[in-house]
Amino acid sequence: MSQPSEPILQIKDVAKIYPGEGKSTTVLDHISFDVYKEFLCIVGPSGCGKSTLLRIIDGLDKPTSGQVLFHGQPITSPSPKVGVIFQTFALIPWKTVLGNVQMAISSTPIAKEEQLKIAQKYIQDVGLEGFESSYPKELSGGMKQRVGIARALALQPEVLLMDEPFSSLDALTAENLRREVLDIWRDPAYPTGSVIMVTHNVQEAVEMADRVVVLSARPAKIVDDVKIDLERPRSPRDPVLYDLADRIISKIS
Amino acid sequence: MHVPRPSLRRRVASSSAGKTASSFTRILLVAIAIGAVGLLVIEILVNGAANSILSNDLTPSVPYFALRTLTRMTIAYAFALAFALAYGIATAMNHRASHVLLPLLDIFQSVPVLGVLPVVFLLILGTGASAPEFNQEVASIILIFTAMAWAPTFGVIAGINAIPTDIKEAAHAYGMHGARYLRQIVLPAVFPELVWSSLLAWGGGWYLIPIEEHVSFGPTQHVDLPGIGKYIAVAATRADLGSALFGLIVLVGIIFAIDRLVWKPLGTRAEKYKYETIAAPRTTATRQSAVGVEVRKYEDRLVSPVLSFFKSERSYAARVLELTRWRRIRHITEKLRFPQRISRIPLWGRLLSYAIFIGLVLLGLIVTIMSRSQSIAIGISLLATDVTAFELAALTLLSLSRLLMAYAIALSWTLGAGILIARSQRLSRLLVPIFDIGQSIPATALFPIVVILLVDPFRNSPLLGFTLNLASVLLILTGMQWYLLFNIVGAVNSVPNDLLEATAAYRIRGRRFVREILIPASFPAILIGSIQAWGGGWNALIVSEYIGPNANVPGLGSFLVQATLPSKNQLLAPLEIYASLLVMTATVLVINRLVWRRLLRKADRYKFEA
Repeated sequence: MSQPSEPILQIKDVAKIYPGEGKSTTVLDHISFDVYKEFLCIVGPSGCGKSTLLRIIDGLDKPTSGQVLFHGQPITSPSPKVGVIFQTFALIPWKTVLGNVQMAISSTPIAKEEQLKIAQKYIQDVGLEGFESSYPKELSGGMKQRVGIARALALQPEVLLMDEPFSSLDALTAENLRREVLDIWRDPAYPTGSVIMVTHNVQEAVEMADRVVVLSARPAKIVDDVKIDLERPRSPRDPVLYDLADRIISKIS
Repeated sequence: MHVPRPSLRRRVASSSAGKTASSFTRILLVAIAIGAVGLLVIEILVNGAANSILSNDLTPSVPYFALRTLTRMTIAYAFALAFALAYGIATAMNHRASHVLLPLLDIFQSVPVLGVLPVVFLLILGTGASAPEFNQEVASIILIFTAMAWAPTFGVIAGINAIPTDIKEAAHAYGMHGARYLRQIVLPAVFPELVWSSLLAWGGGWYLIPIEEHVSFGPTQHVDLPGIGKYIAVAATRADLGSALFGLIVLVGIIFAIDRLVWKPLGTRAEKYKYETIAAPRTTATRQSAVGVEVRKYEDRLVSPVLSFFKSERSYAARVLELTRWRRIRHITEKLRFPQRISRIPLWGRLLSYAIFIGLVLLGLIVTIMSRSQSIAIGISLLATDVTAFELAALTLLSLSRLLMAYAIALSWTLGAGILIARSQRLSRLLVPIFDIGQSIPATALFPIVVILLVDPFRNSPLLGFTLNLASVLLILTGMQWYLLFNIVGAVNSVPNDLLEATAAYRIRGRRFVREILIPASFPAILIGSIQAWGGGWNALIVSEYIGPNANVPGLGSFLVQATLPSKNQLLAPLEIYASLLVMTATVLVINRLVWRRLLRKADRYKFEA
């Protein structure tokens, strides 16, 4: 995929240090990279600070130093142009599927009925038609994550952030959802240009991403930045993917 | 180790803000201390309280009194602990027995303890000449036991039920049976719940102390045991505010010391025994381990106390511990009150448990009446002429209206405070330590002070009716509010991290965050807190409605107290006591079933998945 010269997101020299009594912990050690219109994966050993980085990108957490620019403007709080998908789904138990999806756009000036219509549309898009009035407790893990995806899409985000979106799901469900997420992302009807996905599953990363940013163990530094110019749909058994995965794993460990 | 977030810490306050906040807390705590001391000083200047404390013939005995009270509490607690383990293990390990034991326990805990007081005294002390001190002591310990026993029992049951199936299977696979299973699996599993529920138990015990150590009962019987509660009670009868305040301060000092030297270290240890079913959210992993370090430091500080005591009191870790404790107490309360298990019990079990309870009450009644060698038939006809069912119902309604008023006040302020604590790191720093001290004061110890301030000055004023009702509602409030606060703060602090992040990511803030997230998230906790609060309210009611022959308001509480007065007919007294106790227990049970449990079933949706 060709990259336009203008990056959508710029992560500039981001560091995160947690102060402690006596000694402080450095979690992110001066991370810099640009994100274009692409599917980008951030991989690294568990506990290295990948999720912290993602939270900083969304403005949920503040970096100790450095900044994140979105179209040149610094991000300080969550933006309506960025959707987030959580590993643990983060659905509100007392809201229906419809309510949970509508929640994403409830802070916008759109009229309530219109919000519900939009929510309805994205619920259909993720294949949950008929479950609008169900509660999260009544859904399986895969269906819950579909709600999470619909919620993020309802914002019509320019950037989609995903924090280990498939690691709470069983292998088969995860595989299906991966394919669907890629289909949605590639569908020109959706405005989402950039996807940033955090994962510790290297195979998943090379299968899905245009580019993989590899972080080291804490304090996290970028140790590799791998471009993957393979046609989609990709076969998970493609030997090139295995080579790439091996390369990344060797950098991490 | 699972340590809760100190507040919802959305965009955590920077350390400088924290510093100003903690200095603000310090200023406020100092202000409160000055206020309390100031009140005492004013008393001293105006009424010569120093004189009254010093000239109080009981003042030199205060250290001895404190020791006696503490011994009494410890003995009662030892019995309560033994009961809790035996009853709890029997209930949790024997399915058939649990069908009766569980609902029976639920009935027991619905009986207002202060209503049991006259019954226990009737049974143990008998009539005739005043009973020897040993008998009084036995009655007193039994009474404290009834206040202490139920919470740890539920704690034991909850602890055993929380043992994960895989652990049980592993234990059996490796041939652990009988005593070894009990010692190596059951007791450690029960330990944390036992610690947290013991906190509730001791709270219940302290509640009785200012009342049960010094009461008159019928024409000849008195309970007059050396103890700090007696000191306060005597000061109250002498309208001696100085001594009452002094006694209160000593009592709170004892409670506070036990709390810091026993319960906090035990609580910290207990947290390590917890089976965690879900991993802590990864995003806070670094933060949590930092907290873990702080908690350990806090523990070390406790081992070498005095010097670092005041420092650790203000620390972040101290607040984390307090909030952990509130959360755990909420958890226990939920176990205590949540209806699921009870409603799954077959009808025969429930009926049998009611039968056993009514049988016990009848047995008590028969023993009481026999010991007075009088006939039950005559008694019942006497009761029918003295009080009608209509009267009892009217009194119940009057009392209910007072409870309702206190409840409305309690709910509105605790909900506000809970939300403030959740929303602001700064306010959390400020309020949590204050509430922690506030909740440790047994509400009954405040009674004499409220009476001296609100009732005594108005004895001959037309305002007396109003101030009496006000005092009654205030006293009920003191018995209700902390349960609600614990539960609400606990709930608000248990909102899962991912949900907070999702609401922040989708920019749900301010009022909408409160309305759409915090209040629904606290809904089950509000209900559970309400059941507990109403329990506390009924207890407080009994002592709040009747202050003296010329200072009382009509209600079920004053009806009960009046039945114990010396002027009462010897046969009528026990009947009226039993009657009012039964009406009260029945009202509590009916309200639980008709209101709270119905709502609780609806609340299921508002609970986060474990």
